[in-house]
Amino acid sequence: MRNKINFYLIEYAINAILRQRYKNIFIATTLTFLIFLLTSIFFITNSIKYELNATVDALPEIVVQKIKAGRHYDIETHATEEILAITGVVDAVARVWGYYYFENAGVNFSIVGVDEFEAQYKESLKRVVETSNLMNTKESSMVVGSGVKETMQNNYYKDYFNFIKPDGTLKRVDVVGVFDGDTQLESNDMIVMSKADVREIFDMRESKATDIVVKVSNPDEVATIASKIKLIFPDSRIITKNDLKISYQNIFDYKSGIFLALFVVSLFTFFIIIYDKASGLSSEEKREIGILKAIGWRVDDVLKEKFYEGFIISFFSYMIGVIAAAGFVYIFQAPLLQNIFTGYSQLKASFELPFIFDVQTLFLVFFLSVPIYIAATIIPSWKIATLDADEVIR
Amino acid sequence: MSKNLYTTKTPKVLLSLFALLVFFAFETLYIFSTKSLDSESLEKRKEFVSIVALPDLAISTEATFIRHRSMSDLFSIYKDDGSLREYFVSTYTYSHSHKADKSAK
Repeated sequence: MRNKINFYLIEYAINAILRQRYKNIFIATTLTFLIFLLTSIFFITNSIKYELNATVDALPEIVVQKIKAGRHYDIETHATEEILAITGVVDAVARVWGYYYFENAGVNFSIVGVDEFEAQYKESLKRVVETSNLMNTKESSMVVGSGVKETMQNNYYKDYFNFIKPDGTLKRVDVVGVFDGDTQLESNDMIVMSKADVREIFDMRESKATDIVVKVSNPDEVATIASKIKLIFPDSRIITKNDLKISYQNIFDYKSGIFLALFVVSLFTFFIIIYDKASGLSSEEKREIGILKAIGWRVDDVLKEKFYEGFIISFFSYMIGVIAAAGFVYIFQAPLLQNIFTGYSQLKASFELPFIFDVQTLFLVFFLSVPIYIAATIIPSWKIATLDADEVIR
Repeated sequence: MSKNLYTTKTPKVLLSLFALLVFFAFETLYIFSTKSLDSESLEKRKEFVSIVALPDLAISTEATFIRHRSMSDLFSIYKDDGSLREYFVSTYTYSHSHKADKSAK
């Protein structure tokens, strides 16, 4: 190996970099910053995507919504019976949920009603709720996410909350628990209470529900069952788990796509500048190449030396950029960039981005930066190196 | 030693490259051990999601469709035009809370 790599050429390349210290420091800084930004965005996107995909399997296979006049409409609860009759359906539950706009804070709470708040969900709830004096109260009670709790406290609601019903009267519901901090990314804006309470707050009749969730045990049957439901209820919209996964993919492709597009523009600008600078090589640099050729360097020696030069600068920038991005995103939790993904909600979750080592991102950024930079430095030198030495020096 | 007589800077540069790689490996290891999702908290999340059975994350909650976006309008991405994708403020009229932010008009 030692015979293959010419250390004198590397040494020469290092000295060449040091001769133009300030120019190269400037280039390296810019490149590092670009790589840092792009890698950070990809890291954040990947983490959120990972978080989403980790929990998507816990969702029901099919959601049935009723569409009337192009809008979502309350579905009849007796539809569950017909759906349950389809072979392969394990469970069909009419669900009641919705958004409650809390005007004082300008936020939307997501209220979900669960069946048998006292019985069958008790065990499950116990595992995800921090305080355990659940269901001791006879009154209406609810379990809230930590973001909801905080918002309520800021508005002087400590142990209970007054929901304003559609007719203007108040409905008092006691807070009996807060969801575990680990689930904050999912539970931050959630309120879980009994179905009867949700119906009262949204003024929904017993025979109506928001949508119907269907559980199917065999994933291969989902598509067939979905089409059967569609046949029975032509006015319904069937959302399968697969649709949700595609929709997730769309959101994140869209958001990180915007950044990739912005980055590509800035990267191109950067390389145009590099290329322009290099192709209008200063007469000194031209003469350098000419002299090297005159004292016996071959074209490939010159190109090798230029390759080392480009590689050292771009690889250092790449490594520093990636290291900084990993620290910025996972150790410091991406202070400013995270806001781009979390939107401008008042009900902000202060979540930790879960780490996922993504080799694909590292390779993508690597091939977007290092080879292109090297090419941008080699090509102009090659143009000059192929000329006759005396022509260049003169 | 004499081999390096004329190439004194090369070992330094190679060494620092190597040091960067090692540093990156250690950083990754550190983050991996401290910030990965442990199975317990993952179970909790799954438990929670199976209770409420709603998709999406609570990362943006001001507009109703952003939080269960995939539930509230799955069809409207291409509603008007294949290239038009809705995003909050541009395609929705949404009343800002005047109580929360007094400066807003």
